[in-house]
Amino acid sequence: MKMKHIKLFAVVMLSGLILAGCKKKNNEEENEEELITTVKLTLTPVGGGSALVYSWKDVDGVGGNAPVIQAVTLAPSKVYNCSVQFLNESVTPAEDITTEVVTEGVDHQVYYAVSGGAALTINGLNTDGNGLPLGTTSSFTTAAASTGSLKITLKHKPGVKAANDAVTKGETDVEVDFPVTIQ
Amino acid sequence: MFQMIRAIVFIAFGLIFQTAAAQCTLTLSGHVNDIETKEHLSDAVIRIKELKITAITDKDGFYSFKGLCPGVYTLEVSHAGCVTAEKHIHLKTDLETDIDLSHAVTELQEVVIQGKASGAATPSAEVKGKALEATRGLSLAESIKKVSGVSMLQTGSNIYKPVIHGLHSNRVLILNNGVRQEGQQWGNEHAPEIDPFIANRISVIKGASAIRYGADAIGGVILVEPKLLRHDPGIDGEVNTALFSNNRMGVLSAMLEGNSERKPAFSWRVQGTVKRGGYAHTPNYWLANSANEEYNFSAAAGWKKQEWGTELFYSQFNTRLGIFAGSHIGNVTDLWNAILSKDPPDYIKNVGFSYNIDRPYQDIQHQLLKAKTWKNTGTIGRLNLVVSGQYNNRQEYDQKRFASSSNAPQLDLSIATGMAELVWDHFNTGDFRGTIGGSFMYQNNQYERRLFIPNYESTNTGLFVIEKWTKNKLDIEAGVRFDRKSIYNTTDNGAVRFYADRLFNNLSGNIGFNYRFTPAFRATVHASTAWRAPQVNELYADGLHHGAARIEKGNATLTPERANNIAANFIFSNSKWDIDAGIYHKEIDGFIFLEPTFPPELTIRGAFPAFRYTQTNARLSGLDFSAAYSFDAHFSSSLKASLLRAWDKTNKQWLIQMPADRYEAAVEYNFGNARKLNDTYIGINSTWVLQQTRVPATGNIEVPGTTVKQSDYLNPPPAYFLLGFEAGTKLKWKHNNVSFILAVTNLLNKAYRDYMNSFRYFSDEMGRNISLRIRIPFDIKHKHKS
Repeated sequence: MKMKHIKLFAVVMLSGLILAGCKKKNNEEENEEELITTVKLTLTPVGGGSALVYSWKDVDGVGGNAPVIQAVTLAPSKVYNCSVQFLNESVTPAEDITTEVVTEGVDHQVYYAVSGGAALTINGLNTDGNGLPLGTTSSFTTAAASTGSLKITLKHKPGVKAANDAVTKGETDVEVDFPVTIQ
Repeated sequence: MFQMIRAIVFIAFGLIFQTAAAQCTLTLSGHVNDIETKEHLSDAVIRIKELKITAITDKDGFYSFKGLCPGVYTLEVSHAGCVTAEKHIHLKTDLETDIDLSHAVTELQEVVIQGKASGAATPSAEVKGKALEATRGLSLAESIKKVSGVSMLQTGSNIYKPVIHGLHSNRVLILNNGVRQEGQQWGNEHAPEIDPFIANRISVIKGASAIRYGADAIGGVILVEPKLLRHDPGIDGEVNTALFSNNRMGVLSAMLEGNSERKPAFSWRVQGTVKRGGYAHTPNYWLANSANEEYNFSAAAGWKKQEWGTELFYSQFNTRLGIFAGSHIGNVTDLWNAILSKDPPDYIKNVGFSYNIDRPYQDIQHQLLKAKTWKNTGTIGRLNLVVSGQYNNRQEYDQKRFASSSNAPQLDLSIATGMAELVWDHFNTGDFRGTIGGSFMYQNNQYERRLFIPNYESTNTGLFVIEKWTKNKLDIEAGVRFDRKSIYNTTDNGAVRFYADRLFNNLSGNIGFNYRFTPAFRATVHASTAWRAPQVNELYADGLHHGAARIEKGNATLTPERANNIAANFIFSNSKWDIDAGIYHKEIDGFIFLEPTFPPELTIRGAFPAFRYTQTNARLSGLDFSAAYSFDAHFSSSLKASLLRAWDKTNKQWLIQMPADRYEAAVEYNFGNARKLNDTYIGINSTWVLQQTRVPATGNIEVPGTTVKQSDYLNPPPAYFLLGFEAGTKLKWKHNNVSFILAVTNLLNKAYRDYMNSFRYFSDEMGRNISLRIRIPFDIKHKHKS
């Protein structure tokens, strides 16, 4: 092969190597944006008493370690003001994603479903800008001593949120089950 | 309905086995000339492709065929030192036709040589000419789906992957202009990043026989082959357009190529494709957010002398693919809701047509740079060096949680690949011909955002020898290949998770026999053993697989797969018949597949379907059959069947996600040539896909509210029968033929679902689609007769 062809070849190989090697990216593990790791319930008894805090946490996100779930224990025949928070605790300081849920409340909705016989009623959901239920705050009313579970679902329904939407509508951002004991 | 299908199949068979008497007494003759000197060429080989018969010109350059039946034939004319030419003829009476060959150096592109090295003993098929033209504007997988034994793995109406004998992804190798296509090909929803417009021929090599290209292709190899660069002075080009009614898609592709008059060694080509489609339409509703767009271009330049040549090729592929809104699910509950409601919810179904691509969507870029140089080693062979670089960037955009969320993709994978390959082809040395070579590949994978597969580097070194021995009616071909694959630097992931370095090496080999009983009938037997190292996703995937909405877990204990394969083909071809019947049997030890795990994995978004890579011993056997019969010069029919049985030997049950039995029948009427219109034809085709009943009886997927566990969320969809229509003609314009093809798929606008489409859970397939394809070739400086 003549010299100039060898040169041509070198150029091609070099560009091949550049193509192969140029894009050295950040090797840190970056989490999914706005990862929600934690659902935190703050239950303040109406008529006094200290607030109860329960959380459902999966700090390392999907995969990896299993989530840590706290059981909710409430007193019978009582009313609690509940505020639910969605947090990203994989970063320091923890990020509160609830603010964004409230800001874009017309596209989101929190659902509460009690099952398994727990004598718990949830109502008084706060509303979004259009007067539709949002549910970041609510009222928990307990009756007799019992056990069961509470499913909290955060739905994302951009542009399609309407009155009386079933929980099946839209995309699920959060769906967690808390064991509930009323005693 | 079934009565009707049975009747049609019966009639189709009846037609095929009818014997027709025709006047097979025609003579075709003429001279073969050098285009420059007008000298008659002796020893030129003229082959009638349809009949597989050849004639050789005498010392005056004269050839003749006697006893031909009326019909449409393709002549392939080759001569040492000339570029092989093709000529279509319509034989009605005795015909004398001269053929001009352009004198050029004996360049055969590597793909051609590889094609020869892979030999007649290999089960293979080609899509080119009219068949390829009828698929213009479609994806690569759709372009070859009519080959028996080939099917498609679909994700909605935009993402198609080729499947050969039930195997796909890492097990099917795609050669883009002679270079192994390297991207994130492991994903079921990662379609090949190739513009089929660069090809003028797409070849499918079935089975693990193509050790020339790498050991891991245990399903098969797809060769996307551009035509050779122009060899005689002048400039020509073509413009292709394709318009589709269903998703109002338009495709425009143009190509321009030339050869320099002053420097005849220099040739060039530029090519580009633009494609834009909107939402696809099922018979009853639009598939919201299923729009797509694609922008591709390529450029090639070649310098060619008698003894050596070099060629530079660059291509870039860019696509954005919308993912059907109704398929986007949050967790297992959402998935069951979507499945149990059968159709998408009204708020998705009622969305009107649009070209907009919203989240979720995929944005993919693939670049390829290739340099190929060859040099003759005396008269006994040729040395080829191919150096290439590839860069693939895949960005997957998930639904945003808030309007204020960042616009970054959730998954961002980049893989860069550098390859070098040195191959020596030796021409007939005694009765031997073969290829000896080695290849080296380096890869670097990087991710941003969500972790799914880790960062890693890998190298692959391969050495191979393939020899072919031809004597009289027998060809024997045998090859052996050694590969060494290393995966390293896997721990460079912010030390969050630990992944071990891996090293695999092993041998693969094959042997094939081809025996020509008569010029019309030959039989081949092919046996091979091949292996495939587990890929990084199979070893180390961990996390949410966005497109599939499931959690996939790799398995670091996986060992390589070993596939032992035997195939036999019977090929009969004369003026009336064209039959290819093949059977194959594969034993794959350590077959790697994704198995659902129980229970689904608990996450803050609820339970997610979880899958883990696992291994079993599998047995895949099947039948590929195709037969075409010409009643006369005008009327022809064809029948195809693809059958596969895939058995999990370890668990004694069927393997999941394998294509169902498929039958196709077509009839065509060719009007022949008129004064202005050539090759006018009209045809009806039909496809009958059975229900896949061979699925595992039990599995790890729990039906909600019960304790019943099944192998899939939903049973495979029922059988379906589709009709299609196609008509085409060529209009003489100056000295070129402008071709038109009008086609309708799903003519009866039938609502159906296909088992190989992962969106079968959510929506129907596309409804009726009317397409029009126009191909306009042109010459700018007309210097030669075509």
